[in-house]
Amino acid sequence: MRKRSWNDQMFSGVMTVILILCAVIAVIPLLSVLALSFSSKIAVNTNAVTLFPVGFTLDSWKAIVTRPDMWRATAVTIGTTLVGTFLALIITSLLAYPLSKKEFGLQKGIMIMVVITMIFKAPTVPYFLTLRSIGLYNSVWAMILPHILTAYNMIVMRTFFLGFPREVEESATIDGCGPFRILAQIVLPSSKAVIAVIGLFYAVTIWNQYQHPLYFISDMNMFPLQMKVRQFVTESSELQTIAAKRAVNYTERSLKAVVVVFAIVPIMLVYPKLQKYFEKGAMLGSVKG
Amino acid sequence: MQNASQRAAARTQSKGLADNFRKYWPYYVMAMPGVIYLIIFRFIPMLGSVIAFEDYQVYTGIFSSQWVGMKNFVNMFTYSDFSRILTNTLILGALRILFCFPVPVIMALMMNEIGAPRLKKTIQTAVYIPYFLSWIIVSELIFDLLGVSGLFNRARALFGLRPLLVMQQSKYFRTVYVFSTIWKEAGWGTVVYMAAIAGIDQSLYEAASIDGATRFQKMRFITFPMLLPTVITMLLLQIGSFMELGFEHVFSLLTPMTYSTGDIFDTYVYRVGILQAQYSITTAVGLFQSVIGLVMVVFFNQLSKKISDDGGLW
Repeated sequence: MRKRSWNDQMFSGVMTVILILCAVIAVIPLLSVLALSFSSKIAVNTNAVTLFPVGFTLDSWKAIVTRPDMWRATAVTIGTTLVGTFLALIITSLLAYPLSKKEFGLQKGIMIMVVITMIFKAPTVPYFLTLRSIGLYNSVWAMILPHILTAYNMIVMRTFFLGFPREVEESATIDGCGPFRILAQIVLPSSKAVIAVIGLFYAVTIWNQYQHPLYFISDMNMFPLQMKVRQFVTESSELQTIAAKRAVNYTERSLKAVVVVFAIVPIMLVYPKLQKYFEKGAMLGSVKG
Repeated sequence: MQNASQRAAARTQSKGLADNFRKYWPYYVMAMPGVIYLIIFRFIPMLGSVIAFEDYQVYTGIFSSQWVGMKNFVNMFTYSDFSRILTNTLILGALRILFCFPVPVIMALMMNEIGAPRLKKTIQTAVYIPYFLSWIIVSELIFDLLGVSGLFNRARALFGLRPLLVMQQSKYFRTVYVFSTIWKEAGWGTVVYMAAIAGIDQSLYEAASIDGATRFQKMRFITFPMLLPTVITMLLLQIGSFMELGFEHVFSLLTPMTYSTGDIFDTYVYRVGILQAQYSITTAVGLFQSVIGLVMVVFFNQLSKKISDDGGLW
């Protein structure tokens, strides 16, 4: 008996150690880049920085946060995320609600349409040409409209609406409520959890998007944060020129680190508070309609 | 005769729809924006694929460009580029299923063995984080990590090894793709499996304890078999979306030095189609990819439905 429980403890212990290692691996690159962003030029150039800042300085940060183009990009990202998420929730719930009603004559037909969009992806080039022809080239809408209705999110929401108790809606109908009022005043207020989850997924998609701005936005004044990061990282000549000045206490590498951290901070601030919603969302996804 | 009855049926059906509309018009109004959206953003681009059969010129447009039939497809198959991007896509897809898919399953099984709830929560929080970063950010972290003065080469230096420029050599691209996928997605991938494990009947474990089973035996003979249906469903869905390697993922890791092993359909179409404006041939390439993708998804979805009752996406 004793031997067995010792075995069990060993087993648990080994698993725990491996997982702690996984957790460390998951955060090490982030710590490393954070440390670089606060380190001095000498420390970075002599490879003295690993996971903690060496020769702590805010100079790299100052060089980046005083750039108006960073803030413009931040404004573009925040703006498109807010507007996009808002529109996405409206259009998704407006479609999901009637599709959860079997009285709706087009229910089957529209569901088939939705499933087709899930299994057959239009080739990139005609997609690009279509969106360009409706005026999305160099327009902020190119970063909003393509994301406001995804089949998957719509189906998750529809599944949730299918589980809504019929009696409540029926008694509201008898009291003279039309479908619009039922949706706005009864169904949506009691679906806050699913709305939060789906809103979060839309928001993360829009915040992190790179493909659409890459295809559609060539005007640098409209670049979102992700494009700005890419611009600094790949076409690093600009950062090189800034960092080449003699009297400064930063290097190209520490500046890159700041740009990366700058783009991560907002997500890191909200993520811990919203973690449980994300988890809930991933589980909702495993229930289908 | 049959024709007449068909027509009658069609009439009652359309009459039924008209009646349905009169009675439930608010539902039609609600669904309208979504349907219009799907038509503009999803279906018109699908129909736009006809330019794969044309010699499409921007100024003459879809409707008056010259029809060339299968010429673009024939040309496509003779391109040396095509066999390269097809091979790369297939290899990366296969590696992802072989090496990336099992990781979250194993991690979820291990996670289930952690006794302390606080510790478990902390570990989960940490391993989920990378999922919420964009591929642009992740690729920059990787470029820095694997650079000359990055942590990777400094660790090599500790063992007296010379620096290795991983990102600039085509032979390492696939390895980087696999590890970056695991780093970003494996942690988050455990959520689905943890949910399935949480649903396992606790009395099974109690019965096993009475019979004197060790923790490992419980994992091997209870947790794993109970998790298997979820694993199979996820596996089939993953195989079905084999061709979707993620444009942003591959594009952000790719450099001209690594095209020979890392250039896939999506990145090729972007470069040649959108940047160099060779619309017709790249639409043919894209259509080929979409059709293969469609066949795979439908086939594996049906298979997954056959295997388990609640398998499949639709």
